[in-house]
Amino acid sequence: MKHLLMLLGILTLVFSLSACTFGVDSDSEENITVYTDRHYDTDRDLYDTFEEETGIKVNILSDDADRLINKLENEGEDTPADILVLADAGRLHRAKERDILQSVQSDTLNANIPENYRDVDSEWFGLTRRARVMVYHPDRVDESELSTYEALAGDEWEGRVVTRSSTNIYNQSLIASLIAINGEDETKSFIEGLVSNFARKPSGNDRDQAKAVMKGTGDVAILNTYYMGRMAYSSDEYERDVAETLEVYFPNQETTGTHVNVSGAGVAKHTDNQEGAVRFIEFLSSTQAQESYASANYEYPINPDVSAHELLQGWGTFTTQDLDLSELGVHSETAAIIMDESGWE
Amino acid sequence: MRLSRLKSHIHVFSLVSVLAGVLLIVPFIATFTEAFGGDLSAWNHIREHLLYDTIINTIILVGFVALFSSAIGFYSAYVVERYSFKGRTFFKWGLMLPLALPSYIAAYVYADMLSYTGTVTRFLNGFGVNHGLNVMTLPGAIFIFTFTLFPYAYMLTRASIARQDASVLESATLLNAGPLRTLFKITLPLARPALVAGTFLVVLETLNDYGVVSYFNVRVFSFAIFDAWFRLGDTLAAIRLSYYLLGLVFILIMIERLLRGRRAYTSTSYRPIRRTTLSSHAKRWVPLSLSLIMALGFFIPVLQLLYYAWLTIAGGLSVEILYISLNAISIALVTTVITVAIALMIVNFNRGKASLFKRAILRLTTLGYAIPGAVIAIAVMLFFIDIDRFSAPYREGPTLFLTASLLMLGFAYVLRFMAIAFGSLESAYAKTGEKYTEVSYTLGRSRLYTLLFVDVPLIKGGLISAAIIVFIDIFKELPLTLILRPTNYDTLATMAHRYAREEMIQEASMPSLIMIAIASVLVYLLTHRVKKGRVENAR
Repeated sequence: MKHLLMLLGILTLVFSLSACTFGVDSDSEENITVYTDRHYDTDRDLYDTFEEETGIKVNILSDDADRLINKLENEGEDTPADILVLADAGRLHRAKERDILQSVQSDTLNANIPENYRDVDSEWFGLTRRARVMVYHPDRVDESELSTYEALAGDEWEGRVVTRSSTNIYNQSLIASLIAINGEDETKSFIEGLVSNFARKPSGNDRDQAKAVMKGTGDVAILNTYYMGRMAYSSDEYERDVAETLEVYFPNQETTGTHVNVSGAGVAKHTDNQEGAVRFIEFLSSTQAQESYASANYEYPINPDVSAHELLQGWGTFTTQDLDLSELGVHSETAAIIMDESGWE
Repeated sequence: MRLSRLKSHIHVFSLVSVLAGVLLIVPFIATFTEAFGGDLSAWNHIREHLLYDTIINTIILVGFVALFSSAIGFYSAYVVERYSFKGRTFFKWGLMLPLALPSYIAAYVYADMLSYTGTVTRFLNGFGVNHGLNVMTLPGAIFIFTFTLFPYAYMLTRASIARQDASVLESATLLNAGPLRTLFKITLPLARPALVAGTFLVVLETLNDYGVVSYFNVRVFSFAIFDAWFRLGDTLAAIRLSYYLLGLVFILIMIERLLRGRRAYTSTSYRPIRRTTLSSHAKRWVPLSLSLIMALGFFIPVLQLLYYAWLTIAGGLSVEILYISLNAISIALVTTVITVAIALMIVNFNRGKASLFKRAILRLTTLGYAIPGAVIAIAVMLFFIDIDRFSAPYREGPTLFLTASLLMLGFAYVLRFMAIAFGSLESAYAKTGEKYTEVSYTLGRSRLYTLLFVDVPLIKGGLISAAIIVFIDIFKELPLTLILRPTNYDTLATMAHRYAREEMIQEASMPSLIMIAIASVLVYLLTHRVKKGRVENAR
């Protein structure tokens, strides 16, 4: 007992002392620190390739987007972060507004990434694309019945629509895009109509919505394209079944285009390795990395020279919203507020 | 009295206690001052549209969880301690196993099992039942919390019932009271303080959780705080909401004290109760009911996870998970030692009379336990950033030094879980009394000597129990860890969360199972003591 206590005591002391320095950057080798809310196992392979080619070590801190933004804000000038990677342009815009990113001039990035997927002030750069589409059961819904997001507020869809909570950023960005295109008042009436058509109170994530449609709780779901990809290649046989049975529909093809969002990266305002950070983002946008970076999550690549995963290609091409993605961030807060006011839980 | 005279001397114990007390408060002062003033528009929005629902939902959640978990806790404790039946010894410790399963993991797994493609749904489909069950609701959350947290109520109530004197019960029988009457008039009132204390722990854990309620989209306070902070981008509103939550916790503390009552029960002699055998009727459904409770709270989710792990293992196991396991174990171990050591010193410093200081510390530590992890994280982070910036001119190296280290996370753990260690040690000390300590002082031994060689051996059992429970809690902890950990650092909890968040439930199974396995071993250790080579059940 006594020996055990002594051992524990020494261990504690040693550990506490070393804990003081754990995590602090060593100056021995060049490195960059990435705060990211995206973390797939295959990403590590890409980082390793980057390390081999450039000799710059990549440190990762992965967490939810908003916590990362908050952390960067609190750390201020002293932050160890060099790069911020976030899913959703709304969040990237929020990061820009909180003054934690900096403007980057890079011909490579401008060449690899189309203009509307870059921040207007070059503070963030889209790296993958995803569309927020409708997924339906062909036995209960005929494709001709579907047209636009706005049409889902109509009476014929009562009790047939499922989607996730309004607190989720993806829905918030979708609504933000509709505010940008249709205006606040029209969007508010749209939401009220949509909410009255919900088959159930929003719960679960995007995949749960697809499963609800499969089960018959609803007939049409709103979700991101990459979840269909994930289910199609899931190790769970029944998820593959869902992906095979349900059909994907790209709304607003005749009108304003399907809502597209990006995941992207920006250089931290108070980085101490600006050059390395820019190189990293350029790497991720390059043809070398894009295919695996985007396909890892069944997303569309941002680089127009790179082709998408074959599953995505199978869905065909589609018209997207003609929108500067910064707008998603601009109207994000308004979107959240009117969703709350209209009872979208 | 000897003790009070010694108490007036300045001593390293008193210094440690005061220092610990100050460190516990300071982070909260930082956030307190921020809560007032500033842009109120987001707050007004919350107040108008969301606050009412949040309060109602929280009260419903907490109320029903308290009701059901105390009912299950008491029922199982009563049956296990007062009756003998087949499998009793197994159930006695097995009913603690749900503690090894984190609530958020149970939430993900049950949601998955009840989804279209889930095990339970497919099972029901086999019987022609096609109507699905949606667990991701407020009732669903009540279910999850009840079955994963009731062991707190069970644990304390069982220990209390085990200590009840046989003569009291025998008197009841002599006076012609049937078993039911004895139960409600004697056993339950005697066990009431423990039952209330245990249920209170369940309630605090429920209030603190973020994983379950966010996944199920149940608007309660912890969810609202995160939501205000993130979605509406308003730290101010978030802090204000947490003060609302604190208010609720204070009310709960009052209720707890009221329910616990001030009466103390003593008997002049003590004889342990002899267990009655069950009637043949009860003999069947008592073990069955207990098995059902254990299945719902532990075995069903774990079996599902084992199946998923088996599916993913085919893809190979990564070395990463080994490092992450070591991370989780090492930080939990060290922080547990520190927490228990500090709690020991504080309790020791304030032995005997109920002192104002001791009660203040108890209230503060309960606060640390009740406030959602995210709020503690903000407070601690801001606090350390201030320290770092303040000390930066006096040292070399990057400005954010402590903030980038593990120390900050460890500090937050201590802050949060001190209450458990504190409470457990208090009751252990209360059981042994002061006479041995006083004798030691009379014989001229120093305070430190007495603590190490007289007190510690006496309360060894309580110390180990405290350490094990704190370890399990730190090991499972999620929100604090997510926010305060340094780069390139993950624990099993954050890894499981990362996968579950990306809806990769199958990949989340490996880290979850390792967590559960280690925690289960500890639960076993908690309920069995190795005494000189023999394994016996702890009382």
